[in-house]
Amino acid sequence: MLQIFSSVMDGLLIGLVYGLAAIGLTLIFGVMDVVNLAHGSIIALGMFFLYLFFGAGLHPYLSLVPVAILGFFFGVIVYLIAVKRIISGPPLMSLLSTFSVSMIIIGIGTALWSTSPYNINFKVETYNILGYTVTSARLIAAVAAVLVTFGLYFFLYRTVLGKAVRAVANNREAAELMGIPSQQILAISFGIGTMLAMLSGALIATLFPFTILSGGVYELKSFVASVLGGLGNPTGALLGGIILGLIEGSVAPFIQISWTNVIEFVIFVLILLFFPTGLFGGRK
Amino acid sequence: MSALLELNGVETGYGEVQVLWGVSMAVEQGRMTTLVGANGAGKTTTMRAIMGIVHPWKGAVRFQGEDVTRLSAHDKAQMGLVLVPEGRQLFSDLTVEENLEMGAYSPRARKSLDENMRKVYGFFPRLEERKRQKAGTLSGGEQQMLAVGRGLMADPVVLMIDELSLGLAPVLAQSLFATLKRLKDAGLTIFLVEQNVHLALALSDYAYVLAEGRVKIEGPSHEVARNEEVREAYLGI
Repeated sequence: MLQIFSSVMDGLLIGLVYGLAAIGLTLIFGVMDVVNLAHGSIIALGMFFLYLFFGAGLHPYLSLVPVAILGFFFGVIVYLIAVKRIISGPPLMSLLSTFSVSMIIIGIGTALWSTSPYNINFKVETYNILGYTVTSARLIAAVAAVLVTFGLYFFLYRTVLGKAVRAVANNREAAELMGIPSQQILAISFGIGTMLAMLSGALIATLFPFTILSGGVYELKSFVASVLGGLGNPTGALLGGIILGLIEGSVAPFIQISWTNVIEFVIFVLILLFFPTGLFGGRK
Repeated sequence: MSALLELNGVETGYGEVQVLWGVSMAVEQGRMTTLVGANGAGKTTTMRAIMGIVHPWKGAVRFQGEDVTRLSAHDKAQMGLVLVPEGRQLFSDLTVEENLEMGAYSPRARKSLDENMRKVYGFFPRLEERKRQKAGTLSGGEQQMLAVGRGLMADPVVLMIDELSLGLAPVLAQSLFATLKRLKDAGLTIFLVEQNVHLALALSDYAYVLAEGRVKIEGPSHEVARNEEVREAYLGI
């Protein structure tokens, strides 16, 4: 019983990190209708950026700050180079374009770091709460994911720039007519989505070993979580991430780990079939 | 010349289809100018060409004496050339208050945000009652009030309105026109596209009649209203 409880708790904590990754994906889709196929490789890049700062002697949690800043600017640059020009084109163009970005990141990453596993080796405490053993890394990753999500909501609902992001997401042309420079807002939104993806990658890197190819799994999890929550809905994406984590946690004690993907994608297909706008209502 | 906004031989269209064939007009300071014409005459396209949402192929748009033909819509809005678009185009997921706040996005307008918000709530008390409500949940009339209010928040030098009365009950349309009249009397320059030709000609100072992408008739509104051709074609008299 305790083993199951522990497993479910572990799932909940990691689910929050999945949720953060999914918010990055869903935010970009919600604002500009672009499905960012570079999401996974950006997550992996976040892992390696953390590795670089850690290697330079910075504490992993302090490294999250430069990773976030780098992530934002990286996203803005990707937007300006690969997305801006095709933003009004057919959806296939942005799929191909972001897929190309993904290939470039993975190509350069493989050249720099090969595809062998890396890990962040730092001192991790272990706590025992009523027989449930949890590491500080897992707790901090979950708390950090929640804090970043709160930060995002504060930005979107309490700042002028954040409201402008929502306005552009809602009606780009009307935003232009009101004097909002929509291209600038789109670049910022892509930057923020990328920042969230990199942060989630960095948090995952504090938990598990990773390679430059690790992003793919988390990209798929982000898709499942976003679709669960309704594409374009950040709260839904976070809840979707939690659900995903809970599923993983509750089935882990009973079956082999490789089956979790099968279960997740069966759920994914069922959601698409029966709740195409997600469980919590997506963008129409 | 005291024309705030001028169009000189503007030609444009969509793809291969040309809609405007050399439209020239002038919106004078402090006046209410109206643009009327049948459906498909190119009224909305004229507005969109002025803002640069549709790029003019030929001709020029001048605002406050400056050539703004190639500027983006948000640049023009920041200068005070503000369009309340057809079909309201509100930010439906944002609250009423947030919509108004977004109207005042430009640095120029943000300085007088509080003052303008008080003014807008003064004109449309219903909006204040519903300020925490999402714009998408408002009734049609309230949405039109919000669209106009949001335009006013941008502190316009010229306020352009595309189809103010479309889809509104006559009483509501009348009261919105009364509000516009008050704004004009307070010194605002207004450029109005309107399908209710009767009302538009009665209230405005100067009118342009657009047909098949060309200005057919222009003149002081009371004269245009007496024009036989206009009476037959648009007023049904």
